[in-house]
Amino acid sequence: MKHWRRPLIVLAATLLVGAVRLPLEAALTAELRGAGLLAAPLAVGTREKLGQTSATVALGGLRTLVATFLNLRAYTFFTEARWDDVADTFDTIVELAPQTIYYWETGASHQAYNASAYYLNDSDLPPLRRDAAWRAAVLKGRAFLERGIRNNPGNPKLNAYLGYLLIDHNKSRAFRDHDATFLAAAQAYQTAADAPDSLPFLRRFQLYSMARVAGHQAEALDLARQLYQNQGNRTPTLQCVYFALEMGAYPMLFDPESLAIALFGSAEKAYATLSNYWLRANDRLPVHGVASAIRALEAQLEIGADKSVFLQHPVQNAEDE
Amino acid sequence: MSQTPLSPTRSASGSHAGRISVIASHTFTQLVRMKVFYFLAVFAVITIGSNFFDLPQHAGPEAAGTNILNSIKSWSVGTMTLFSVVFAIVATALLLPKDVEDRTLYTILAKPVPRLDYLAGKLLGVILLVFVSLALMDGLMTAVLQIRSSMILSAQMELAHSRGWSAPEIASMRNDIVSQGPNISLQAAVFVVFLRASIMASLALLISTFSTSTLFTSIISFMIYFIGHFQADARGVFLEAGAGWMTRAIALLVALVLPDFHLFNEFDAVIQGQAFPPMLLGQITGIGLFYAVFYVIASWFIFAEKEF
Amino acid sequence: MAEVTPAVEICDLVKDFKTSFRRQMLRAVGGVSIRIEPGEVYGLIGPNGSGKSTTMKALLGLVAPTSGRCAIFGQDSLRVDSRREVGFLPENPYFYKHLSGAETLRFYGKLCGMRGRILEERVSELLVLVDLENARDRRLGGYSKGMLQRIGLAQALVQDPRLLILDEPTAGVDPMGSRQIRDLIFKLRERGITVFLCSHLLEQVQEVCDRVGIIFQGKMVKEGRLEDLIAIEDQTEIVLRDASPELIARITALVAANPETELVRSGKPRTTLERLFLRETQRDAP
Repeated sequence: MKHWRRPLIVLAATLLVGAVRLPLEAALTAELRGAGLLAAPLAVGTREKLGQTSATVALGGLRTLVATFLNLRAYTFFTEARWDDVADTFDTIVELAPQTIYYWETGASHQAYNASAYYLNDSDLPPLRRDAAWRAAVLKGRAFLERGIRNNPGNPKLNAYLGYLLIDHNKSRAFRDHDATFLAAAQAYQTAADAPDSLPFLRRFQLYSMARVAGHQAEALDLARQLYQNQGNRTPTLQCVYFALEMGAYPMLFDPESLAIALFGSAEKAYATLSNYWLRANDRLPVHGVASAIRALEAQLEIGADKSVFLQHPVQNAEDE
Repeated sequence: MSQTPLSPTRSASGSHAGRISVIASHTFTQLVRMKVFYFLAVFAVITIGSNFFDLPQHAGPEAAGTNILNSIKSWSVGTMTLFSVVFAIVATALLLPKDVEDRTLYTILAKPVPRLDYLAGKLLGVILLVFVSLALMDGLMTAVLQIRSSMILSAQMELAHSRGWSAPEIASMRNDIVSQGPNISLQAAVFVVFLRASIMASLALLISTFSTSTLFTSIISFMIYFIGHFQADARGVFLEAGAGWMTRAIALLVALVLPDFHLFNEFDAVIQGQAFPPMLLGQITGIGLFYAVFYVIASWFIFAEKEF
Repeated sequence: MAEVTPAVEICDLVKDFKTSFRRQMLRAVGGVSIRIEPGEVYGLIGPNGSGKSTTMKALLGLVAPTSGRCAIFGQDSLRVDSRREVGFLPENPYFYKHLSGAETLRFYGKLCGMRGRILEERVSELLVLVDLENARDRRLGGYSKGMLQRIGLAQALVQDPRLLILDEPTAGVDPMGSRQIRDLIFKLRERGITVFLCSHLLEQVQEVCDRVGIIFQGKMVKEGRLEDLIAIEDQTEIVLRDASPELIARITALVAANPETELVRSGKPRTTLERLFLRETQRDAP
């Protein structure tokens, strides 16, 4: 028995030392998870999906490497239009590498853009089911992006990408409640714009999104005025949105034509910009006073009735009148 | 005793540190002459190869390139982890039984060399080699990343200028690329990879003091390495009440006996651009040292009584 | 103290080993005592498995005695310091194959705390002593058995110890190499180094040792000065060169005339096969 005495003492010491380090390690692990340096343990489901080898590799601390492999596999599925497999693979990828923004963006765009377009245009589904599949794919893409944002709170890229998806007029049919959708887009853009070193266009897109939410126009006008102060922000769209918001808030105070000339600098510029803006009817941007201004400008610039911008486009924005 | 006027810790036959460094540098030479550095050629192929990997580009040209930086980092750090752990285990498991079998151990222990010095020297030699190889690999990875990220940066600058981006837009894009390139957090993450390999080497040393074969030591070490990544899970099961007492008791046993290797997995987050605060690196280093020292002392405790 | 500290003192050494069958204990050494005075060359002889190597390992602290004690120049063998004055050459040693001869000696020298020029000089001196200066920078992987044995001897001598322990120093070495080692032992004895060797090659032990112990089944069965042990007390040998047949006849007649004396044998002495081999392969041999 003497032979086993020392190994037994070592075992006892290991247990004792283990009891000392257990709370320390638990605390350090919590701290590291808080700092975003350690991932939570892989869910059992993910381990199963990965298969034996990859799970072992991933558990050995090589998660991003496995994610790189899976990204290649996802690309193959994408080229074969196996959309469910693409979605499954990206679920696993983001489980492995939740902080890689690229994977969230790519996974979402595969669903919201590639899969949805495929269902609408290329699949053999009957028309009604095509539409349902298209919508389901768009919503899936949005949900994936939102999950990415929950995993990376405040990430400017993911928020900007979500805003971009939500204000896309080709997708708006998928999101039933327009006001709620535009409000969500405004919030996403705001988060993105609030991040340090953010690009200025994000704030403008926050404005464009908010300007489209019923009941938030006053808030939007405040933001528009603030943005308009900065010369760099005076893009055609911002000028038009600002014009429409002012006209919507104070229809009695301003004359559409003179406000347009004051904002855009000249009648020609005002007419060119506003008429382009008018044609973007699908974007659901505010158009208060835009039609009146265009009409007045057409008269002033002596544009013939046969060349009127209203002829190029059937009038959809009836609410302007 | 009256016959020993010299103190046993420091005597005419040299200091502990002196002997340990002699054995360590000898072990290092021994491993180098076993041509382990050939592995570095494989690493170079992987790192440079991952650079030419044509990754699927799903996003537009604005995202171009940063993805490849991630891929280079994953491949390189992945290979470093694999190499360092495999090497630390196999080399340690190999060296001790080899000395016993070839009876070179007799000639060393017949000199005035305390057994602790011998063990510490062997271990340090292995760790030194792991360190040097990781440093070389890290250097190569950093160089490749530096070159590649500056290539991406200049391509993106061209794109930005051709599209007339504003100064803040360009600055944001530059930040984005630079954060994916080589940085101090990445070096810290590689250092943690080194720490984990060192713990594995000292653990393999402990196992080889009572194991009878290199194969047994290696297999047990690798098993502990993999199960060690579940240690945090086991601890979670124990700490969060809810499971049955049997389950909790088993979980506690696993948590007490095995080292927590999940604690050394920061590089996954760092590869994805997360910063590594020095404070946390310090704490992790402390835990790593704690493990290594404990295993060395335990090894010595068993080895001191061993007969050959 | 008037008494000189013995170079080696083994008192009632007992060593039991566990056999592969759990409960059975194998007694490798059962109460051996040896005392070697400084400057002596002591030979421990016995068949394989008689406990020679275990005794040496106990003396070096490589195994712990079950009971009894071992000491080198008064220091207990279990203490690391006891090994400062001892050099050891194990049976069939394999040194690190990747090192050259000089590197090997440097490595062991450094382990003993030697550094710098003193070490370099010692390395060169030893390489000359064991006749390996030509193989100085060759890796040990390419050494012959005899060269390995000699570099092993040099390694054992690196820190200039007062005691040398050799376990089967000539096992597996060809006669020429074996003679070189024997000559080395003579040289060391001249320098006053105590040598403790064990062997089962009796002739060699007989040639170099002052005192001999015979160990069998873990017990010392006979010990003493070599001359005393092997001399045949009632016989006398006269060896003559160029003696004429007449002289031989006269001597024989003289012996026959003496009733107390008996002529046991006369004839030509035979050279040993070893001596013949050495004479034929090496011109300067006797």
